[in-house]
Amino acid sequence: MKLYCLSGHPTLPCNVLKFKSTTIMLDCGLDTTSVLNFLPLPLVHSPRLSKLPGWVSKDGNINLEKELKECAKRVFVDSQPEFCLPEKELLDLSNIDVILISNYHCMMALPYITEHTGFTGTVYATEPTLQIGRLLMEELVNFMERVPKSQSATCWKNKEVQRMLPGPLKDVVDVWAWKRCYSMLEVNSALSKVQLVGYSQKVELFGAVQVSPLSSGYSLGSSNWIIQSHHEKVAYVSGSSLLTTHPQPMDQSSLKNSDVLILTGLTQMPTANPDGMLGEFCSNLAMTIRAGGNVLVPCYSSGVIYDLLECLYQFIESASLGTTPFYFISPVANSSLEFSQIFAEWLCHNKQSKVYLPEPPFPHAELIQTNKLKHYPSIHGDFSIEFRQPCVVFTGHPSLRFGDVVHFMELWGKSSLNTIIFTEPDFSYLDALAPYQPLAMKCVYCPIDTRLNFHQVSKLLKEVQPLHVVCPEQYTQPPLTQSHRSDLMLELQPPPMPYRRCSVLNLPFRRRYERVYILPELANSLVPSEVKPGISVATVSAVLHSKDNKHTLQSVSKPPPAPPSKKRKRVMEEPPVVQAPKPLLSGAVPLEAFLATLQKHGISEVKVEETADGHILHLQADDTLIQLEADGTHIVCDNNEPLRTTLRDLVLRFLQKL
Amino acid sequence: MLQHSKAFTFFVQADFIVPLLQLQTDSSLFVASAANQTLAHTLVFFQPGGNGTFKNPGKVERTQTSIGVEEPFSQDYSSVLGTISQFLKESLLPKENTGLHQSQQVLKLLALLLARARQPLRDKLLGTVADSLQELVAAGYSQLTPPLMDIILAAYSSSSTDDCVPDQRVTRLLSSMLNITKPSDLIGAAAAFLRGGRHHQDAVHTARAVRILLLPLHIVTGQTLLGTDTTVEEHRFSISEKLKIKTSCVSMICVCLTHTPPITLMPGDLLPCPPVSILTAVLSLLRIVSGDSSSLSSGCSEVFRNLVGSGKVQKCSLEVLTGLSSSPGMKDKLTEVVTVLIQYLNNPDSDPTVIHKSYQALLKWMSVCEDVSSLTDKFKQDLIDVVKKRVCDMRWEVRDSTVEFLGKLAGVLKQGEETCGALLGGCWSTPLLREALQDPESYVRASAISALAQTLEPSWHQGAAVTQGQTDVVTRLLEILSQDTEAFARRAVVQYFIACADLDWEVKVHTLELAQLLMDEACSGHRGYRKGSDTPPALRHPYAVISARPLGEGAESDVAGALRNLVEQGVVWALLSGLVDCDRPVGLKACQLLITLRDTVCPRPPPGASPATAAASKVSCELPGCGWGREIRKIPGMRRLDRVKEADVAHRTRCGEVGIERTSEGGDSVCVSVCDILSSLGLDEKLDELSQSSDHVHNSALSLLQDILTASAAHTQQDAEPGQEVIVDCY
Repeated sequence: MKLYCLSGHPTLPCNVLKFKSTTIMLDCGLDTTSVLNFLPLPLVHSPRLSKLPGWVSKDGNINLEKELKECAKRVFVDSQPEFCLPEKELLDLSNIDVILISNYHCMMALPYITEHTGFTGTVYATEPTLQIGRLLMEELVNFMERVPKSQSATCWKNKEVQRMLPGPLKDVVDVWAWKRCYSMLEVNSALSKVQLVGYSQKVELFGAVQVSPLSSGYSLGSSNWIIQSHHEKVAYVSGSSLLTTHPQPMDQSSLKNSDVLILTGLTQMPTANPDGMLGEFCSNLAMTIRAGGNVLVPCYSSGVIYDLLECLYQFIESASLGTTPFYFISPVANSSLEFSQIFAEWLCHNKQSKVYLPEPPFPHAELIQTNKLKHYPSIHGDFSIEFRQPCVVFTGHPSLRFGDVVHFMELWGKSSLNTIIFTEPDFSYLDALAPYQPLAMKCVYCPIDTRLNFHQVSKLLKEVQPLHVVCPEQYTQPPLTQSHRSDLMLELQPPPMPYRRCSVLNLPFRRRYERVYILPELANSLVPSEVKPGISVATVSAVLHSKDNKHTLQSVSKPPPAPPSKKRKRVMEEPPVVQAPKPLLSGAVPLEAFLATLQKHGISEVKVEETADGHILHLQADDTLIQLEADGTHIVCDNNEPLRTTLRDLVLRFLQKL
Repeated sequence: MLQHSKAFTFFVQADFIVPLLQLQTDSSLFVASAANQTLAHTLVFFQPGGNGTFKNPGKVERTQTSIGVEEPFSQDYSSVLGTISQFLKESLLPKENTGLHQSQQVLKLLALLLARARQPLRDKLLGTVADSLQELVAAGYSQLTPPLMDIILAAYSSSSTDDCVPDQRVTRLLSSMLNITKPSDLIGAAAAFLRGGRHHQDAVHTARAVRILLLPLHIVTGQTLLGTDTTVEEHRFSISEKLKIKTSCVSMICVCLTHTPPITLMPGDLLPCPPVSILTAVLSLLRIVSGDSSSLSSGCSEVFRNLVGSGKVQKCSLEVLTGLSSSPGMKDKLTEVVTVLIQYLNNPDSDPTVIHKSYQALLKWMSVCEDVSSLTDKFKQDLIDVVKKRVCDMRWEVRDSTVEFLGKLAGVLKQGEETCGALLGGCWSTPLLREALQDPESYVRASAISALAQTLEPSWHQGAAVTQGQTDVVTRLLEILSQDTEAFARRAVVQYFIACADLDWEVKVHTLELAQLLMDEACSGHRGYRKGSDTPPALRHPYAVISARPLGEGAESDVAGALRNLVEQGVVWALLSGLVDCDRPVGLKACQLLITLRDTVCPRPPPGASPATAAASKVSCELPGCGWGREIRKIPGMRRLDRVKEADVAHRTRCGEVGIERTSEGGDSVCVSVCDILSSLGLDEKLDELSQSSDHVHNSALSLLQDILTASAAHTQQDAEPGQEVIVDCY
């Protein structure tokens, strides 16, 4: 069993598991942090961005003014932003049988895998994962295609050139694996390969293994996966949460007794408690609004935003923000808000029960009804008519490189009354803000990451007790900036097996058993004999039939009665040697009794020698040796066949035959 | 009973001691404790004095009985002492079947005995048990550490009353206790010793106890609290190991922390480091607990994980930080302390109690350090920023604490120098508080109101013109008072107004002088009127000087007019309310003026003469149904008047005449003829009463009772509207 690790990002994993005869891809995360090296894509012409100076090396030897621009002492690539794809060279991706998706954030690289690698398999995901994943992809494509950029910068990627660039561009790796965004066509094609599954539904893969999604409590439809055969069990834990937010709670008990547990998607903010951050978010928001400023919340169009809106719903009254408008701007804003209300069976119990009442599960419906929350596909059109300040705007993309958020950054960045509150943990906020510097706007970093923290995961692992744990290497040491915090790492016995991008791990368990079925008529013909109380054995002669990874023992078919044809006759002349198998022997030869028997048969000159495994009997008169060992008896007797036969029969007397 | 030697003899001869000793381990704690008390009492009460005679201080009876029975009594006593000593010796060490319970009881008994035993009893007792105690200490039973320490402290305290050096055996015992190998017991023993306050006599052991208590902090924070001192070095390993276990770590650190403030107040030669180092260690600990270990290079990281995020340690450390503010040499650390506290206030994970305690610590430090100007503008700005954020917090507890802090901060800074004004700068806190007046939580609104009172108070009384902002505040407060559904908020508004109103009695007396001037002006020239400014009326009998000047009818009608004026100007109200004022000088002044007024406008009609002041008697004024109006109406004479008027009103209403009328709304407010009031108030008696010192009433139990009755009566009268339930709030 092997694990190929195609992504080094701990929360955007992409691993391939070879298990029995199947090749299973676990998640298909797209590392979008690469876009931070690019200039933002403004929705309307930005004089500031267009006037940025191009970059020329200090000695003037390298001139990349067209590709690279300088802003606030950092260099950005002026081109359509590119994403860092999972590793494609480590193994032939066309061999992948299935892709298991655990949540909508971990499927964004799907079109790159299913459309350009010769992939012919199936993708399994839950319905909300598919639907919301589609929304996120659609949004991403929309953000990119809305502001087309013809230029594609490649010169800077040249190794010799890249070496000369200022940091952090100089240090980025795998730049040739960076690709531009896919198209809607590719998205649709990729998503057409998705087959929907429900929690705890068992899906057979070629009869060899069974896969089954379990609720992971992180987002709508998010799942962990169990991959098991009859005798082995692998648990794949991706983004999971034990907090009570909107999704169904995490199913922990089904993870028990796994041989290997692959652990990814822990919180990226181990020191930031989501409750505290939510409080921080609300108080900063209220503080800004009271002072007459605007609040900008760069966020994904699904996920934490539901919880933010719910929290604000309760907070609005207490903070007397009743008249402040809340805007949610995204090409998929409407669908996201409405989808969330219909996935009843995927919601937490509390919200599920609301489905049967005349009120929607999420309170954002009420915010919309009372006109406190308004949503628009983009800043153009209706929004520009309704727009009223001070206000709160939720919009994407959290990287601040594309989407409507770029416009608000340009609009509000100059006033210290306004505040930008970062809630998504995926991007470093300082890097995100870099191309907007100098910035007067206040910045508040309240990353809300509800995924498991180290404390919770240690408790979880103690309960489910996997034999081995595999995890990204980042989890096996404290964070670089907090080397004292030994509580911010996994400490397990045996220690977890770390992986990084391009690692290939031999998972530390041998497959020892395989289930074989036996047909009833064959079973009927068996003659069991008891070797120990309660344990009987029988020999069986049968044909092992293997199909679709299922093994069946079938009776040996008797040769059909020979037709009187000449040709057949010839065959009959050489009948297949189907002899009855020799009986199997069991038991041990007791030394004293055996010597006595030998004596009875006139063999008295026996010299017994003790060895490590048993005894050697030296029949000196006949120059013959008998080796009695736990698992075998050998008679070494040259040129005296009668004696050998006698001795053999004597030995057999002491053994049981099956 | 056992305070009589005869009873004692009976007690002993009836062999009651043995069952008492058995009851000591009774399953009922009350019985066991009572048995212990009785045994201790028996030995201690009748113990021989230091000079060999029986002492029974304060008991006359003893002298009568002790003579003549001394010899057999002494024998009885010795036998009891023998029995008990034997018992102590035998039962002190735990046996297999009894467990530790008996030992604990015996130790309690010993502690009771030693605390009050004098020589030679103490010596005898110590002689009996010293070896067993040593053995117990060596056995290291954790549960026995506190009672053992009690015994040691008891022995110490009794020896100090006898004014002799501590017994060698006790000292040895203490040395062993401060050398136990079990870390938690060791720290428990050291803490108990310092708590016992015995450290003044025993420098050696005090120094050791201090070092033991500082050791865990030293290990965790890596601060060199112990320097090169190696007296407790042998415990370092065991304590380090214990600190790596979460539960013991937190409790151990908390015990050590709570003892640091008294440690810093000890004489310098007892401490292994300057007190400031201890403060630095507490600050480091606070940083560690909040998860900020980046600045720390030393210290034990395996212990960090037990402490990070521990609310208990956070709260404990913050309390200790508050306590340390008054220790010597700490003021230089203000900046560092404020940094840590602001960090705590800023931390999103700080729970409301932690934030509350941080505010308290901050206030304490700012009030102790007279000069907060040493704080840079950055700190001030940071503080302002965090407070601004916290008033918007989701948790009402946090908003409440913040608002409360703003109020107290104003109080603290008021006491300080002018420079503090910059930090206070009502300009930033007042808008926050005004905003908080609209908080959905009534507690927060109430706190905001009180905070506003504290913040605005200085400007209120400086005589400066009232600003628009202040007017707005008052308007808003009146809204709350009339519209708020929660009592807390309304109550706070009332308190606010009380705080703003001038309570100075001199001001009130001056106000009455103004009333007097108005009276002078209105009534001068009228019959019998004495200008208050001419002759203090209190010095004469009010009836002694009555002008003989005849009065015409016109003058009479003038009196009525003057009186009506006085009613309209509010002079009568001011006088009446002054009469029932809680400040005696105010009451006195008002009483004097009222008498003058009475004598002027409605003198008692001479017997047989027709009322010459009929017009004046028709002038009436309104008595409010509550406040001073109610007080006035409670005066006995007024009650009678009320009853008469009740009957009268019916009569007069029938006759179409209105001398007393019930106002249309309220019902409680009453219009009464001024003359009737003046004659019914019993002003002369009142004057005598008020001329006396206030002490004789206010110091009596009667006043307290009256206070209670008034309060309860006030409650029922105010709230008891028909059909409405009276809810007594016990906030």
